[in-house]
Amino acid sequence: MPSSDSDPPEFARVDWAEASSGRRRPSARTAGFALALLAVAGLLAYDLAVAPEETLPLLDWDVNRSGWLVVVALVVLARYVFVPLLADRDRTARHVRAFLARPAGVLALGYLLAFGLLGVFGPELFEFGYAKLGARLQPPVFAGVDASVSDGYSCVGPVVDGVCQGTWQYPLGTNYIGENAAEGLIGGMHIAVKVGVATAVVMAAVATTVGTVAGYYGGWVDDLLLRYVDVQQTIPAIVVYIVVATLFLGDVEGVSDGGIFAFVLVFGLLDWGGIARLVRGEAIQRRSAGYVRAAKAAGASDLHVIRRHVVPNSTATIVTALTRRVPLLVLAQVGLAYLALNSTRPASFGELLRVSLEGRHMPWHVQWWTSVPAVALLVGLVVAFNVFGDTVRDVLDPREEVR
Amino acid sequence: MSDPLLSVRDLRVRFETDDGVVRAVDGVDFDVREGETVCLVGESGSGKTVACESITRLLPDSAAIDGEIRFDGTDLADCSASDLGSYRGGRIGHVFQNPQDALDPVYTVGQQVVEAIRIHRDVSKATAREEAVALLDRVGIGEAEARFDDYPHQFSGGMKQRVVVAMALAPDPDLLIADEPTTALDVTIQRQVLDLLADLGAERGMALLFVTHDLGVVAEIADRVVVMYAGEVMESAGVHALFDDPAHPYTRALLACLPGRGDPFETIGGSIPDPTDPPDGCRFHPRCPHAVEDCETGDHPAPRSAGSVTGTDHEVACLLYDDDHALPRELEVADD
Repeated sequence: MPSSDSDPPEFARVDWAEASSGRRRPSARTAGFALALLAVAGLLAYDLAVAPEETLPLLDWDVNRSGWLVVVALVVLARYVFVPLLADRDRTARHVRAFLARPAGVLALGYLLAFGLLGVFGPELFEFGYAKLGARLQPPVFAGVDASVSDGYSCVGPVVDGVCQGTWQYPLGTNYIGENAAEGLIGGMHIAVKVGVATAVVMAAVATTVGTVAGYYGGWVDDLLLRYVDVQQTIPAIVVYIVVATLFLGDVEGVSDGGIFAFVLVFGLLDWGGIARLVRGEAIQRRSAGYVRAAKAAGASDLHVIRRHVVPNSTATIVTALTRRVPLLVLAQVGLAYLALNSTRPASFGELLRVSLEGRHMPWHVQWWTSVPAVALLVGLVVAFNVFGDTVRDVLDPREEVR
Repeated sequence: MSDPLLSVRDLRVRFETDDGVVRAVDGVDFDVREGETVCLVGESGSGKTVACESITRLLPDSAAIDGEIRFDGTDLADCSASDLGSYRGGRIGHVFQNPQDALDPVYTVGQQVVEAIRIHRDVSKATAREEAVALLDRVGIGEAEARFDDYPHQFSGGMKQRVVVAMALAPDPDLLIADEPTTALDVTIQRQVLDLLADLGAERGMALLFVTHDLGVVAEIADRVVVMYAGEVMESAGVHALFDDPAHPYTRALLACLPGRGDPFETIGGSIPDPTDPPDGCRFHPRCPHAVEDCETGDHPAPRSAGSVTGTDHEVACLLYDDDHALPRELEVADD
């Protein structure tokens, strides 16, 4: 019988009569996450109920509906991406090393970080002057424009042989009302980041939940959810958004955020079908994995198995799918803004491009600096997301390590 | 002797499939006493894995389980899913066949042992870590403290299986169900893992229910052996009785296939019957060299004492041990 003389420590005899199956205390992560969400909810309540017109105290920050969605999205992102990365430093260090060995990925990440940081902090960081009609459509520095193409055109910089030269006052030129073009680009990035982050988080949450539940439980649950996804995928989110926008956003001025909130909800809640299918495929594989059987045999609950084993092992798929989806979402918003179905402040790239291509005061190809940088930034975003996604999949894929 | 720790009576497991009803296990009885090592032996498809996974209901929902599974006085077959939770992995541990994917590649080996400890007991992480290191050390992971933070892919197959054993032992089970735990390992490692399991069983007074198709393994560790064929128990006996004095023609045929016994190329002709349409009478009769007419009709023969000299709990399900058919044992043995 229990002869624990030789190796005492590991023979902690368990008194099964006393070992209660009571609930575990919530972990620090769960508690912190709940607190952060509560804090956001508190601020929201304050904003709504106490002082709707004023900015938030301390932060001097006037957050609107879509802003709140972005804040919640950032909290969720912190809980499910940054906290795990920080908590498991060994693993993170290993991933970082593997990531650094892939220069294309590093470059892409650098681009995305710069884009993200400029998008989030840019509007606060830079002070831009007011629009000056006298300084409209100035060319960027090192470039010039024929001053005679526009009536009443005044050049801020020197005019050489009838060509207006760009100045350092407006390094990227100005738009048709004399606003700094750099301001327009940073505003566009701000909107792109907001749209991308908020929609991606909503989408990831729904897709992961639905995909995992369908794949893990299988049977009629799977059938039901997948049939729903089929139906949902026949109705593109963009069509739903256009209908919503024409019904409710006719008077764009009357809507505080010009449709970003609606965009995030419509795309976030209707455009996750493809990702959910991928996640489902992963979950089906994981369901029969040895460690899932072992965890079940060890008495773990389904929820525990899903959270600890199924979802973490699907991370690579989820992240890769999102990196494919996010640039498309940004482009969809740009397209809708181009069609004036989504009107944001600051203006999104779509509005920027529409105004530029209307060619006020100058043909659009002459005032190229009001459109080309925006297009270049968007192309760069799509490419960077794809390269980043591929690299992350290579680095994260847990199956790579098994081999 | 007191009541056995685990007593399985008339266990039946059916699966509804497109090809018909598969009776994977069809009326199986066996006992595991405290501290005893019982081997379930049989060919692939004989229902041994299904039988032992039905004990803690690890089978998919499509499986219909009937019968009595009495563990330490409680009928697990009647238990609610939540009551079963403390048995599953708590008092009854499991070790599966393939160690290659039994560990989650996302977590360190140590984290997984800690998790196994904390599923059933509310202990602090630090305590759990100490226990986990001690357990890893006990199952033969050298420098357990240093390897605690390694990931599964840094471990060999044998080492992984040791970790899996450590995880199964974490809640200090009374019964460990090991389903072909050594099959995926190479022979030298098999030996080490077998020794480990046998030592641990003896040390902790833990009963082992060991599933294998390898009679060499059986000879190594079993106290008693249950031979299964096509979802039925053919013979159950103490390990010495089984090897020295096999009663059932199927057991004899299996033993004859062992290298070093009889004809080196001996095989059992034919193959295991279609599980959706098993033969009437004795399931083994189409392949049995001693089959008589009565073997082809009725139900599978009920187990009866083999009348062996070696012990009283030697039972065999074969008509030849019936009073009506009693053949001289010597004659049968001469047949082999």
